[in-house]
Amino acid sequence: MSVKHMVEPDVGFINEVASLGGGDLKKCFQCATCSVACAISPDTKPFPRKEMIAASWGLKDRLVADADIWLCHNCGDCTTRCPRGAKPAEVLAAIRAYAVNEYSTPKGLAKAVANPKMLPVLLAVPAAIFIGLGLILKMFGIDWLNFAPHGDVIWQSHFINNYLVDIIMVPTFFAAIGIFGLGLKRFVMDIHANAVAEGKTDKTEFEPMEFVKAIGRVVPKIIKHQQFDQCTENRARSTAHMMVLFSFIGLFIVTNCFFVAEWILHIEGPYSQLSPVKWLGNISGVALIIGGFLLLKNRLAKTDRGSSYWDWYLIGLVLGLGLTGMATQMARLGGLAGPTYVIYFVHLLLIWALFAYTPFSKLGHLVYRTVAMTYNEYSGRK
Amino acid sequence: MDKKYGVYICEGCGIGEALDIEALKGVPEEEGLPVKTHPFLCSKEGVEFLKSDIAEGTNTLVLAACSRRVNYDVFRFDGCIVDRVNLREQVVWSHPRSEFPKLEEDQKDDGVHFDRVQMLAQDYVKMGMARVEKVDLPEAYQMETFSRKILVIGGGMSGMTAALDAAATGYEVTIVEKQDQLGGHATQWRKQLPASDPYDALSTPRVQETISAVEASDKITVRTGTMVARLAGEPGNYTVTLKTPGQKIPFDVPYPLPDEMKVDESGKELDAESLHKAFLEYNEGKEDILQFDPDGDKFGAVVLAAGWQPYRPKAGEFAHLGFGESPDVVTNDQFEEIAKAGKIVRPSDGKEAKSVVFVQSPGVDGDDSDFAYAGAVTSLVALKQAKYVREDYDDGKAFVIYQHMRTPELQENFYKNIQQDPGIFLTKGEVVSVSKNGGGLIVEASDTLLGETLGITADMVVLGTGMVPATVEDPVVNMAYRQGPAFRDIGLFDGYVDSNFICFPYETQRTGIYAAGAVRRSMTVEESIEDASGAALKAIQCLESVNRGMSVHPRSGDLTYPDFFFQRCTQCKRCTEECPFGALDDDEKGTPKPNPSRCRRCGTCMGACPERIIGFADYNIDSIGSMVKNIGVPSEDDYEEPPMRVLGLICENDAYPAIDIAGLNRLSYSADVRFIPVRCLGSVNVIWIKDALSVGMDGVFLMGCKHGDDYQCHFVKGSELAEIRVKKIGDALASLALENERVAQFQVAIDEYDKIPQIINEFVEMIEELGPNPFKGF
Repeated sequence: MSVKHMVEPDVGFINEVASLGGGDLKKCFQCATCSVACAISPDTKPFPRKEMIAASWGLKDRLVADADIWLCHNCGDCTTRCPRGAKPAEVLAAIRAYAVNEYSTPKGLAKAVANPKMLPVLLAVPAAIFIGLGLILKMFGIDWLNFAPHGDVIWQSHFINNYLVDIIMVPTFFAAIGIFGLGLKRFVMDIHANAVAEGKTDKTEFEPMEFVKAIGRVVPKIIKHQQFDQCTENRARSTAHMMVLFSFIGLFIVTNCFFVAEWILHIEGPYSQLSPVKWLGNISGVALIIGGFLLLKNRLAKTDRGSSYWDWYLIGLVLGLGLTGMATQMARLGGLAGPTYVIYFVHLLLIWALFAYTPFSKLGHLVYRTVAMTYNEYSGRK
Repeated sequence: MDKKYGVYICEGCGIGEALDIEALKGVPEEEGLPVKTHPFLCSKEGVEFLKSDIAEGTNTLVLAACSRRVNYDVFRFDGCIVDRVNLREQVVWSHPRSEFPKLEEDQKDDGVHFDRVQMLAQDYVKMGMARVEKVDLPEAYQMETFSRKILVIGGGMSGMTAALDAAATGYEVTIVEKQDQLGGHATQWRKQLPASDPYDALSTPRVQETISAVEASDKITVRTGTMVARLAGEPGNYTVTLKTPGQKIPFDVPYPLPDEMKVDESGKELDAESLHKAFLEYNEGKEDILQFDPDGDKFGAVVLAAGWQPYRPKAGEFAHLGFGESPDVVTNDQFEEIAKAGKIVRPSDGKEAKSVVFVQSPGVDGDDSDFAYAGAVTSLVALKQAKYVREDYDDGKAFVIYQHMRTPELQENFYKNIQQDPGIFLTKGEVVSVSKNGGGLIVEASDTLLGETLGITADMVVLGTGMVPATVEDPVVNMAYRQGPAFRDIGLFDGYVDSNFICFPYETQRTGIYAAGAVRRSMTVEESIEDASGAALKAIQCLESVNRGMSVHPRSGDLTYPDFFFQRCTQCKRCTEECPFGALDDDEKGTPKPNPSRCRRCGTCMGACPERIIGFADYNIDSIGSMVKNIGVPSEDDYEEPPMRVLGLICENDAYPAIDIAGLNRLSYSADVRFIPVRCLGSVNVIWIKDALSVGMDGVFLMGCKHGDDYQCHFVKGSELAEIRVKKIGDALASLALENERVAQFQVAIDEYDKIPQIINEFVEMIEELGPNPFKGF
């Protein structure tokens, strides 16, 4: 033993993790059944045994910088087998929620996202932006907001003009990327320093190019859901997650296509149901709803697993997006003008929430987990 | 008693099929003894069949059937001598006919062939007949005076509980407490470990309730500020002298002479009378042990609950942990004192101690042992005291670094509860050092569960030192016994007084004195309370046995006791010295004075006696010797190639059951061995071995309990003494031109029945290689 690490347990951190769903963390008695049960834990410095003791000792700095919390895919094999009921999977999920807050700017927004009481406020923000900006533009004669749309064709753009939507959504999207960007460098440097300190890698110097190359090796794994498929307890989740992921990708493509149609080709909607883009949109929409329901069903079925608001928020968002999107289209095709516009407005709020709150919500795993997996791939850890 | 013999052969359980019953009947018939057979002797009809003979006067029965270990209640007939010849387990079940075939008609009496199994059965019947001829019905030892009062030494929680329990069953109890008040250590604590279901939280100490209950009892006499000066006599009739601590009185207990004073200038051992003179000089001012205090109090049994003292580290002993270097490094006992006084503050400057590290193992040179005399209780105390830190300060932190965290039974709930406290941090690890850091301390621990060497800043460090039993420093009971006032130190128990912690809890090496609480091992107050009930029950068992002249344990109910033929005693003192229980006190001439109710009836004295003057009514030199001499030893006059004959002297506690279980499992072994059960290998007198070899037997082995660190001997030292004696007999054999190897000793545990065939067969094969005993046939 060479280096002595001074430890200063952070009791506040323990309480915070407990409130985020890791309330059983102190029950751990370090038998390491969890690390053995985990199919995707590496042989070198396996998780989550070491995370459990670090958590019960309140070692915050060590844990938020630990890439292993992101390698976990939360299948719950460890929780099922834990002889002490310490729920390692839930503890890691709670630490992830904590870490998301640590790396996001402004700090504290993640806490609001994790707090059910703040939900109305969070949704009121986009409502205010849309209505407020629409009204302001009206004062300048740009009439992109019409509270009483009429005409033979029901088209949401008659209510809130697509240009208004886009000039809000596009900056929000890039702002989210920017926020990720702000935290990400620190995140990578932290997980590297942690990996070196804990002996998870022998690459003491961080090599950015090698790291970028590793992305190419990790993305196919993510697409194929290879890690998910190693779970024993919660295998069905793989399909649900895959449906949701692919439908988001599909919808992202569709959105971009229509963005090009709108802004560059100046083709106004509604678009023909026969258009292949529309097909992709509809298929993705249906897949999103089914995937969302499957996620919901899986969570509800696993009574031995803990689910916190942090988890319900994301499932709610996925289902809300799918259902309001599809309902908007159906109401429109059914000729129901009022419902079309009301549902569409809700849909818009949810999309904005999706973009704006991703760096602060569970959906942040999209970035953190990908980066952590890439780092792990890069580190050459066995 | 006029013996009227009857031999009964059971034909059940395969005995009838395997043996030639007519030939077997020939054995008693030849001696003129009546013999009967029955197809099912332990059945209702079978027992009636025996009873009708008993009604007609038969009083000495040889039952050739199953092992003495089964149906003992069925075949118990009051007023009758009964010998159980073990034809089932040790003859037919362990020697199947498939392996040991019966003789064909033309092989019988041809001078070449013989039936080993039939020979075995016939020998056993003959040995049984020989034994009953030599034994008598025991007559119980009657004491002249008998006291039913119980003396409890120690007025802590253990002692008070034992007293209350004994009083509740109607016995008069006296508690002797050295301090000026009852309660002991339990009065010095802030909190007590969990005392009631669900055993997860600390409770307020309950010692005051117990003190009140003791004071309210009209059956309990409390003598505080008092200690035992001497305890003389035997269970049922102790004469106890009490005194104030520090007082010097003639009835203070004398100490045995140190070894160097037992010899004269030339190194020769003093004779008995000079020894006694030297002993009296050595103990000047004190009365001899055989002089009873006329003013002494009478007691029947003793509960020893003298408790413990906190371990006091020697100067510099835990310097690497800062003990003695910084006043903020304290023992758990000192920490309790601080906690009892109020909020936890640093001894150095009186500042609040908000970060406290509890060290459970001194960790020197990679040794992971806990502190001496620690145990589960020190783990639990660390958890308890960690909780004090949290009780006193909302932002307090307590660290427990352990090599072993022992929280047995429902105390696991307490551990779980403590673990849940967000301000208590537990890890296995080795504490390497404690160093000063400004006004505070830094604790360095390696090999922790966190996977690295940790540094923890601390205001205080608490060492989980152990509970030293009171009997380490002081004999406490002060027995006026020739072997000395203290429990004999057999080098295994670190001063704890138990005789065998697992097999015989509470039973010390002195019958009539039962240990409870921390004199047995480090334990919590809750465990002590339970322990006290156990010891109180043992004390009651003792009273209710010795009043009828019965052995208390482990031969509970045995009415025999050693009988000495003093005319031939040479005052060699071997019996006094070798008795594992200090039952014998020799007088000024060196003649042993038996104290039958101290005795456990193991017969170690009988095995030790070179003059062979010690015996029991149903177990003596002659009874076993006659069995040996009645074993048939075929020679070349009988058969062309006569079989070997080997004697096995088998300890009846574990080895004999193991052999029975081997039979029950149909494990077979040589049929050339004859077993004789003995009470303990310590009771084996070498004359039996000499008898066996002189009648031409080819080898002798002793089979008994393990000895050494994990000894299993029911009488502590019996099998070890036997081994020493067997080694000594080797020289005698050599002078007779017999090989040492012909006599051996084997150790088995009761569950090692599967090893029996191998042990026996290998010994017989070895004897066969040596060839027959040259004295055979003379």
